[in-house]
Amino acid sequence: MARIELSGIQKKWGAIWGVRDVNIDIADEELIVFLGPSGCGKTTTMRMIAGLEDPSEGEIRMDGEVMNDVDARDRDVAMVFQGYALYPNMTIYENIRFPLRMRDVPKVDQDRLVREAAAMVELGDLLDRKPGALSGGQRQRAALARAVVRKPQVFLMDEPLSNLDAKLRQAMRIQIKHLQRQLKITTVYVTHDQIEAMTLADRIVIMEGGLIQQIGTPDEIYSDPANTFVAGFIGAPPMNLIEGRMEDGIFTAPSIRVEGLIRNLSGPVTLGIRPEDCHVAGAEAHVEGTVFGVEPTGDMTYLTINAGDALIEVKADRDYRSDLDVPETVAFDPARIAFFDTTSGQRIR
Amino acid sequence: MASQRRRKGESLFIRYLILGTWALFCLAPVLWFLSIGLRPRTEIITPQPIYWPTFSLDAWHMIWSDWPMAKYLRNSVLAIIGSVVIDLVLAIPAAFSLARYEYRGRDDIGFYILSTRMMAPAIVAIPIFFLFRNMGLLDTVWALMLVYAAINLSIVTWIIRSYMIDIPKELEDAARTDGASDLRILWEIIIPAILPGIITAAVIAAIFAINEFLFTLLIASTPNAYTMSVALANFTGGSDGLIYNAIALVAFLAFVPVFLVVVAIQKHLSRGLTMGAVKG
Repeated sequence: MARIELSGIQKKWGAIWGVRDVNIDIADEELIVFLGPSGCGKTTTMRMIAGLEDPSEGEIRMDGEVMNDVDARDRDVAMVFQGYALYPNMTIYENIRFPLRMRDVPKVDQDRLVREAAAMVELGDLLDRKPGALSGGQRQRAALARAVVRKPQVFLMDEPLSNLDAKLRQAMRIQIKHLQRQLKITTVYVTHDQIEAMTLADRIVIMEGGLIQQIGTPDEIYSDPANTFVAGFIGAPPMNLIEGRMEDGIFTAPSIRVEGLIRNLSGPVTLGIRPEDCHVAGAEAHVEGTVFGVEPTGDMTYLTINAGDALIEVKADRDYRSDLDVPETVAFDPARIAFFDTTSGQRIR
Repeated sequence: MASQRRRKGESLFIRYLILGTWALFCLAPVLWFLSIGLRPRTEIITPQPIYWPTFSLDAWHMIWSDWPMAKYLRNSVLAIIGSVVIDLVLAIPAAFSLARYEYRGRDDIGFYILSTRMMAPAIVAIPIFFLFRNMGLLDTVWALMLVYAAINLSIVTWIIRSYMIDIPKELEDAARTDGASDLRILWEIIIPAILPGIITAAVIAAIFAINEFLFTLLIASTPNAYTMSVALANFTGGSDGLIYNAIALVAFLAFVPVFLVVVAIQKHLSRGLTMGAVKG
């Protein structure tokens, strides 16, 4: 069981930045998710924790011990890969046993441990097969078993579910979370899928351009985004970001006017409001626009309003229907409004 | 519909016709060899065409009784297998290094290894002759082994390298985090995964070695180290003149095992010969 500290981590390949400056303190037994678009540095950061890449600058510590010069194979870290990375010439049994063999676990224990790990992911009856004869979900479970078999200090999971179909992904998500709670192993999980991040994480680390944008619990990330990148990245559809001006507690943008904001702000600002905090309004409307799109999904209706320069997403009632291009009004829940600096994108609190 | 089907049939017929003609063109000399090898010597050198040839095992008996054919065969097999083993032992680690490690000058070293294949072999014939003479290895199978290994090392290295590059890096990363050292990764993960590539490289090297003539002739000055290819050349001299049927039979016998091996692994072989053409 381990606590992981990353301080001032940088990774540069020639003139190309992989990771610019990463500082994280990962608690023991925590499940932390690195979330970001591809190329944001999340996988590189994970590979540095694994010891598969060396940081150009900064320190990686596990339980206070500096790990920078410790070889990957001596770090007691198990990794699950996007492509499963099962050894194709070995049976599933031999695959799961491989880490035990490499670490000179006594032969008498090996068989028991392999069978325990296989049972944990319900793979017991497939041990004699080669990876090629398994389905994607089974391969993923075999990869998980290989990772848990030697009870490592740290689990690293690099987009482990992204090759699976949606239904299987959900089932595996639950299994991974369950396994992690059961084994109490510090876990770093990399994904670009925000649903995975929200559902799995104790804390989420949002990365972009090699920098951490925000670290927080899923609730914090969702309701309290630190900047416009996080606000626009999390949520489907994401937070509405409306550029406008603030004067005397009144926010204005073309077709939009929000009064009574007790904020000591003036000049250009960006207003952020989540689609579920917008309502189709009667009298007290903040937005007067026209209907641009109506998308019923069954449990709700996504409504898009064309308001001057902005398209505003609204999660409307499941019964809501409308023709296109007809006038419609929308009100915001004032308590849920967030403001961002229009130039820097940073949250104004 | 019917006309479409007929057109499809026609195009299939034309394809078979072209391929059949080409196969006949390629295989005719081989069959001709076999035919010569199995006829009495008198019949081969007659100017009149013979439509119904006489079958005879004269040549077969002759090559085994008049010449130490078993010894030539043994020399060939020893030199070839030995050279292929040397090649694999040297080329696998070299290819692993070229395919997987990053260091300064790696690509230059790779090119240097390949470039040994670019010069005309005759250029180094005399130095090699003196080298082996000074080592006291002239006229031995050991020298042939070393020369064949040297000739083929570059191509074996590059074929194996191209297979190694195609192995997902993830496999190695997984093995490393599982606690495997570089050597164990090579031995337990990489080599089993590219076994078809290794076999292909070995067969290609063996074929080149079987056909090697120049250096063998240079090094093997007596029947002590003659291989099949040089022995064949020796059927042409002496008081008996050209012994066509023996030449043809030995050539055919040398051809058959290679042919069978190539047929057995032809799928992998084409992959090995077009190495790097598709990816990496």
